Amino acid sequence: MDIRSTQLLKGTLDMCLLATIAQRPCYGYEMVQQLAQQGLDLVSEGSIYPLLSRLQQHGYIESYLVASRDGPKRKYYRLLPAGAKQLEQWQTEWEAFAQAVEHILKGERSDAQSRPAHPTTDR
Amino acid sequence: MHKADQHTQQQIADLVDACAGYWELRGITRTSSTEMQLELEQHLQQAVHDGKSLEAVLGPHPLAFAEAWAREMHPRVFRGGAAALRGLVYVLSIVSTTALLSQLLVHSSAFTFSLFAAYLLIGSGLLALLLQLGGFLAPRISTRTGREALMLAGVVLAVLILRLVGLTVNWSMALLSWSWPVTALLLALAALLFALDVWCTSRSEPPSSATASAPALRYVTTFVASVGVFDVMLFVGSVAVFNFCRLALRLV
Repeated sequence: MDIRSTQLLKGTLDMCLLATIAQRPCYGYEMVQQLAQQGLDLVSEGSIYPLLSRLQQHGYIESYLVASRDGPKRKYYRLLPAGAKQLEQWQTEWEAFAQAVEHILKGERSDAQSRPAHPTTDR
Repeated sequence: MHKADQHTQQQIADLVDACAGYWELRGITRTSSTEMQLELEQHLQQAVHDGKSLEAVLGPHPLAFAEAWAREMHPRVFRGGAAALRGLVYVLSIVSTTALLSQLLVHSSAFTFSLFAAYLLIGSGLLALLLQLGGFLAPRISTRTGREALMLAGVVLAVLILRLVGLTVNWSMALLSWSWPVTALLLALAALLFALDVWCTSRSEPPSSATASAPALRYVTTFVASVGVFDVMLFVGSVAVFNFCRLALRLV
């Protein structure tokens, strides 16, 4: 994963985590696996935990322990109503942002096709 | 194969212990810290099982990871003061109980805090801290023996440097001297600050913790036991350390 992708993911990881939890309650490692399945590989997987704590501090998610067959209890996270509301807001913001970026990128491409590579001066 | 597994298990245990020690210093409640340790250990176990490295989970700097998580566990206003308060509680507790024990054992009404006592106290504290946080080196120096050897080498090097720069001091020089009432006052102050620390850390508990049991009693017991053990080790080790230092300085 290159630096640009890492930075992009860093800025949106909390939103991705909230969206993952919104699908169904899950534990930390499970979230990493789901993100990887979607093509988002984290440079350091542990970076999700500070973000999960932040989401919990803000009252967007809550944790609970579930008995595990293979060992000690596992900590799961589930979405709270405040989290669902926040996710909706983030999704709207993201769509507007992504659309704006897409317009710029497409605009650059159409400009490059229609205009000459170097501006010409009028004589 | 079995040996390699045991080796990785040891690395995971050391890393988790180092994180736990760091979180304790940062004033994270024991309940929260236990949950964080459990979560981290399970993640590391599963990652290793899936063929990933420890670095893939914690990044190149495990201490930075521990700090990032600790920062999110505290309310913003309390972040800076937690470690300072806890450090002050430990120093005051150790100094006051050392003075008390010294006054009781020597049957003296006065206690003299010498330069050697300060050196021993700071040195022991730093060594205890290094030993506890040494697990952060686990991804780079995989064996515990290797890490301890590195720390020992660091201590020896520090002694050598002190000697080479020509630092000659009078170890018995008295820095401070006080009598019974001051010792009692210091003990009371340590108890008061400890109570404040317990209150602050219980307030910084996350809003919906997965485990609900109050850990205050266990925290108090652990704190008293650690101060007691530190005091005993300080007394028992003081003579040996003093002789070792004198020998080391003579040999250089």
